[in-house]
Amino acid sequence: MYEKIDLAVADGLATLTLNAPDKLNAVSRKMIAELKECWEGLANDASVRAVLLTGAGRGFCAGADLADPDREASAAADSGAALDKFFNPVIRTMRAMPKPIVAAVNGVAAGVGMSFAMAADIAVAAKSASFLQAFARIGLLPDGGSTWFLPRLVGDARARALAMLAPQISAEQARQWGLIWDVVEDTELMKTATELARRLADGPTLSLARIKEAMNRASGNPLAAQLDVERDFQRELGRSADFKEGVAAFLAKRKPTFKGK
Amino acid sequence: MGDIAKETPLKAALDGGVLTLTLNRPERLNAMSQELIGLIIEQLDRALAESAVRAVLITGTGRGFCAGADLAGTGMGTVTGADGKPDLGIVIERLYNPMIRAIRELPRPVIAAVNGVAAGGGANLALACDIVLAARSARFDQAFVRISLMPDLGGTWLLPHAVGDARARALGMLGTSVPAEEAERMGMVWQVADDDMLMAEAMQLARRLASGPTLAYAAIKRAINAAATNTLDQQLDLERDSQRALGRSADCKEGVAAFLAKRPAQFTGQ
Repeated sequence: MYEKIDLAVADGLATLTLNAPDKLNAVSRKMIAELKECWEGLANDASVRAVLLTGAGRGFCAGADLADPDREASAAADSGAALDKFFNPVIRTMRAMPKPIVAAVNGVAAGVGMSFAMAADIAVAAKSASFLQAFARIGLLPDGGSTWFLPRLVGDARARALAMLAPQISAEQARQWGLIWDVVEDTELMKTATELARRLADGPTLSLARIKEAMNRASGNPLAAQLDVERDFQRELGRSADFKEGVAAFLAKRKPTFKGK
Repeated sequence: MGDIAKETPLKAALDGGVLTLTLNRPERLNAMSQELIGLIIEQLDRALAESAVRAVLITGTGRGFCAGADLAGTGMGTVTGADGKPDLGIVIERLYNPMIRAIRELPRPVIAAVNGVAAGGGANLALACDIVLAARSARFDQAFVRISLMPDLGGTWLLPHAVGDARARALGMLGTSVPAEEAERMGMVWQVADDDMLMAEAMQLARRLASGPTLAYAAIKRAINAAATNTLDQQLDLERDSQRALGRSADCKEGVAAFLAKRPAQFTGQ
């Protein structure tokens, strides 16, 4: 059982809820240790076909908990150690796991909380949510992969300004800039995000996994190499049961029933 | 009438940690002569050497920001190679590229206040800066193709990284002149300011950065530079190493203490 997070799995969909609402789900050492264990478990659990990530209460995640006594003791000595041991493995696991992650950003996503939202495959935010690269305000640089995600999502020029000036931006602005997929009314967020995640959990898991991996590789590949990646992945997918089902359903004009195989 | 004293093509002023560089050839819309670029490089070297410089602000005198290479006079067009034929590569190698590299590698924030037309190399000089503010009446013009050249001063790299591959191709090939507001919408520049407020807003921003955590800005700049070619995996390691170093800085200690005490931080750049 976890203390700072909450995990519920039902019919292939795992819902992971950051659960320190009195601190806007700021990440304590305890929470990140639990997150690491939890994400690794979800990555390895073949029965889980999609993950929905959200926050309890009015915040999504306020970033690292600067008041966490565990942090204060070690941060002055080595703020790289926590990244190496916990945060970076979490981000790597989120990006590498062969299943889609949906983030339902229910409130402020600051610092590494914003990194978690960007590391998800599809982020949907409540209209009242906001995004903030808070790091420079305390003399740090964006971490949790933010210096890599930002220029790829919003372009190099905006990325520099967001990181250096640390402005708080609205969910609507984030959508316009391509930082997130969609914005919905606050009261609709969990319904919309859960439907989306459910649809993905019931979807062709191998195809979704290969889409994710191809996009991961695209950011470093020349087009010529990417065409080869597509050829190889498509060959593999063309031999899957879900592909056979998809084609059969298409030809019979019925809804496909995918099994993730 | 007596001789008019020749004005310097680049004015430089250091105040409150901000080194302001003003392109000063208004009669040529601040087109880049070889002398002008040499002076910019000199000042960027100074910014690197002097710890008193904690931010750089680049702008232009008069109604233009920079009209690009000076195609007449002492500009690049007159330089010939050893074979006696025109050689644009010589000035690019000796002046343009070192200037752009110096801006991108300078471990301080560089702000551009684009006060008017930024054409050709002038547009890309602006886009190479970390944060670009543009006057509402300014325009960004990849004019090269109109004289059968291609974007230089990093334009073919800066554009796709800022606005995406599809828009970059169109801008390069069509030589479209982009109004400031459109440039902001497509992420080419950070923000548009009303013409009469541009310099005040740009100076306020520069001062804020000059009194901020200089080491963090340098690390952000280095990290985002590296992000363009790094894998996520490599970038996570880079963030770890940079964050470790910053975590031991005086400014980070001050930042965290100020955050917890809910007071504004007093950064020293150390």
